[in-house]
Amino acid sequence: MSQANRRQITMLIECNDLNYRYPSSQANLFRNLSCRISIPGFHALFGPSGVGKTTLAKMIAGLVEGFSGKITVHPDTGILYTYNLERLPGWSLAKDHLADITPHDRMPDLKKLTESFGIQGCLESRFSKLSLGQQNRMNLTRYLLQDFNFLIMDESLANVDEATREVIILQIKQLFPQKAFLYISHNVMEVAKFCKIILVLRSADKSPQITEIKGQNQTDQDIPDHPALEQTMLEIVHAS
Amino acid sequence: MLHRRLYQFFIVYGIGICSLFSIKYILNLSDYVIPSPIEVWLTAVDVFMRYSVNVLDTLSVAIIGHVLSIFMAIVVGIIARLTTGIGTLIKIAAFNIQAYPIVAVAPIIFILLGDGLASRLLIASMICYFPLLLSILGILTQPVSDIEHFFQMTGRMTWQLEVKIRIFENISKLIMVITGSATLAMVGTIVAEFIAANAGIGYTIRIALYQSDLAKILVALFIIGISTSIYLVCLEWMGHMLQKKWEG
Repeated sequence: MSQANRRQITMLIECNDLNYRYPSSQANLFRNLSCRISIPGFHALFGPSGVGKTTLAKMIAGLVEGFSGKITVHPDTGILYTYNLERLPGWSLAKDHLADITPHDRMPDLKKLTESFGIQGCLESRFSKLSLGQQNRMNLTRYLLQDFNFLIMDESLANVDEATREVIILQIKQLFPQKAFLYISHNVMEVAKFCKIILVLRSADKSPQITEIKGQNQTDQDIPDHPALEQTMLEIVHAS
Repeated sequence: MLHRRLYQFFIVYGIGICSLFSIKYILNLSDYVIPSPIEVWLTAVDVFMRYSVNVLDTLSVAIIGHVLSIFMAIVVGIIARLTTGIGTLIKIAAFNIQAYPIVAVAPIIFILLGDGLASRLLIASMICYFPLLLSILGILTQPVSDIEHFFQMTGRMTWQLEVKIRIFENISKLIMVITGSATLAMVGTIVAEFIAANAGIGYTIRIALYQSDLAKILVALFIIGISTSIYLVCLEWMGHMLQKKWEG
């Protein structure tokens, strides 16, 4: 077994007995929450609004502290967290910013990503001049050009139309088969169809607070299996 | 931009001087208390050039003091945005010192530095420095998370980039604050000259005050108003050009 393959299997993010409440709140957001995320794979974190998806994602990314329990991350796991409200600096054109932040060896990927995400025509513009959907795609592109093993996409494509979103997800899965993604979305159909594992998060008064559901994990090569997809969607709805 | 500001000044000045003459004629005050319009005009013809030179002297001190205070406020603001003890100390000190009327310290400065350029410059800087510092502190200590997040996540954030992002995102506010503080710099310089200087329009007003010559004071105020308006317009124009160039 090659070293790369061995690493694939061992790389894992584990959350054990997480307990957390916001400093201003009396109620617990998480109570003994435990989950595992394997690398690689395109996974989802699903759940109703306010249940703590973003907080959990930020905890995994190391952006939230003050919780009890343990989050174990493989030392080599470069984790990035991106969200849909991010902006690029307004003083430069999108292409100049992308050129500045893209590592030299990733330059060919920059061209490939801008083409497949349909933002080539936006490169000569400043970020503020782009539509919300274009802004989402531009922001996601720059993250995909970074050195990472695990990318958390917190509603990163919220303003992108459904058809384009599907193309982008399939492209990501095709271009980054060795990486892991945690896609936070409210779209049951989307997560059921494209994700490998769907972590369904519920409120702290329910036990277990998080449920793991196997998704259809479709690629652009697969023929859609509608009954199986419907079954997965039902499971997700039931779990949430 | 210039004509609008000048119109505004002419209207305010006109209202002020009309009110003054109204009081004079309603209360039947003598020319010694409030001079007649003709006397004001004759005084203007007589002293306009000399007073203009004095105002330019004051304005140049105010501009230097203003530039110095902007520079100092940015440097201190950059240090104060640190979350360390020094940053906290600077913020607390700035909030406390700005609550004190700086003009009250002016006599001490004149005693220590004499009535030359240094005292005028220092007082002008001090008067516009603290309001500037508080605004710049507010801008530089407020994170712009939507933009900064990426650079922090990818380990690219430097203090220079952080300052650049925060200044860029607040450029309109910053230009407004700098323009607003320009008036304070002018006020500071005139106050300094008024207290104990040997040059500038404040010094000239002090002499006119000793002579109880209101006409000279009115002429001085007119020239001060025009020159300050021009300075403010120049600042607004520079800010506008910078913003246009930066934002594309």
